[in-house]
Amino acid sequence: MIYLDNAATTFPKPMQVNQAVQLALQKYGANPGRSGHRMSMEAADEVFRCRSAITKLFHASGEECVVFTLNCTQSTNIVLKGLLKPGDHVVVSSMEHNAVMRPLQALVSRGVTYTQAQVYPGDNDATVHAFRNAINAKTRLIVCIHASNVWGIRLPVERIAALGHEYGIPIMVDAAQSAGVLPINLQDSGIDYLCLAGHKGLYGPMGTGVLITAKGEELDTLMEGGTGTNSASYDQPPSLPDRFESGTPNMPGIAGLRAGVEFVSRKGTEEIFRHESQLILYLYDCLSRMHGVTLYMPRPESRYFAPLLSFNVEGKNSETVGQMLSKNGIAVRAGLHCAPAAHQVCGTLETGAVRVCPSVFTRRAEIDYFIMTLGKIIRK
Amino acid sequence: MGKPLILVSSITYAMKGRDLLGRQGISAYLERVPKMERTGGCGYALHVPHHIEEAETILQQAGIRVLGRMDGEEA
Repeated sequence: MIYLDNAATTFPKPMQVNQAVQLALQKYGANPGRSGHRMSMEAADEVFRCRSAITKLFHASGEECVVFTLNCTQSTNIVLKGLLKPGDHVVVSSMEHNAVMRPLQALVSRGVTYTQAQVYPGDNDATVHAFRNAINAKTRLIVCIHASNVWGIRLPVERIAALGHEYGIPIMVDAAQSAGVLPINLQDSGIDYLCLAGHKGLYGPMGTGVLITAKGEELDTLMEGGTGTNSASYDQPPSLPDRFESGTPNMPGIAGLRAGVEFVSRKGTEEIFRHESQLILYLYDCLSRMHGVTLYMPRPESRYFAPLLSFNVEGKNSETVGQMLSKNGIAVRAGLHCAPAAHQVCGTLETGAVRVCPSVFTRRAEIDYFIMTLGKIIRK
Repeated sequence: MGKPLILVSSITYAMKGRDLLGRQGISAYLERVPKMERTGGCGYALHVPHHIEEAETILQQAGIRVLGRMDGEEA
C-alpha cells in the first residue's frame, strides 16, 4: 500500500517507536508515579524522558509544563473549557478544526461568544489585520491553528501572539498538523498554550497528545482524580503536570512518543519539512498540468504552506475518488477532514476534497504512482 | 541526619531536580516519601547524601517547590 494519509496519522512509525512500545510493555509494566518499587520508578523515568524530549524539541520552560493527554482534541478542550467563562469572547481563525469548533460551540450555550477571523493565504499582513479587527473588549483568548489540516495554509502564529499580547490576550495554538514538520519555539513564539497530537508528525502511537503551557495553574480542570501525590486531600493538586494527569497514563504510548520525538529531533524538522515540501511541490506541479483536477490554493511555497495538498476531480465526488484510489492500493483521506470551517472558505463544504499528505518515509516513486493512478481514474 | 531527604511536590519535579542536581555535580536519588503525613498522603523525595543545603538552594532557584526535609531513617 502507498500510504499518503499521514495528516490523519503517520504510518509507518519509525522502528524505534515500535521497539519502545514493546519494551515498555515488557520492561516497564508497572504503574508510573504511583509506587516506590524499581519497576514503577523505571516506568516513571521513561515518562519523564518523554517530557524531557518534548521540552527540548519545543523549547518549553520545563518538563513540568508538558502535560500528556489522549490527543490534541483533549488538549484543546482543557484550555477552552478551563479558561473561558460566560461572557467571554474568543477570536478563532477561519481554518479551525472541529477539535476547536465543537468545544467552542458547546461553550456558546454557556454564554461564550466567538468571531472567526478570515485567513488570507500568502498575505500574512491581511490575516493579522483580520485578527486585530475581530478583537473586542471581552476577548479572553485567541485560538489559531498553526497549519490548516485541509489546505496546508500556515498561519503567522508568532505575529498573532504578539498582537494578542498587546491587548493582554493569551493565544492557544493547535499544532496537530505542524508539530514535527514546522519549527516551534516556545521561548520566542509567544504561544501560551500549545496543543499537539503525538501520533502525527511526532511519529508516536495513537492515543497520545500533549498540552504544553506554563500557565496551566490558571485553568480549571476538566477531570479530577488520583495522581499518586498528596493523596490524603480530595482537592486536585494545583501544580503541573499532575493537575491535568489524573488516572493511569498511557505509558506504552508515551514511551513510543518519546522514541518518535527523539527520531524527529535527530532528523531535524527542517530536513523533514524540506523532504515533504519537495514532494508536495512536485505533486502540485503535476496536478496543475492535469485536465480535470481542481486545485484550490496557489503553488504551496514553503513560507506560507505546510506540506499537504487537497484537490478534487471534476465530475467526481471526493469520497468516490478516495475509494478508487484505495482500490488501487493508495491511502488518502477524502471528505471534510473534521474541518468544515476550512472547507467553507474554499467552497468545498458540499463536495469535500481529496487530501494527500506525505511523511518523512514517502518516496518520489510513490508520488509518481499516485499521479499515474489518478490519471487513470480521471480518464475512466 | 542519617538519610537526608528533600521533599518535593511531584515525581516530575523530583526527576527534574535529580537531573538538575546531577548536572551541578550533586548526586540525588529518587525515593518514595516514607512518612505519608509529611506530604499529605503519597509523595516523592530526593535523597541527597551530601551538600543538601546547596542542593535545596539550587532546587528552589530553579523554581522547584521544596515541601521540606526529613530523615529517611527515622521514618
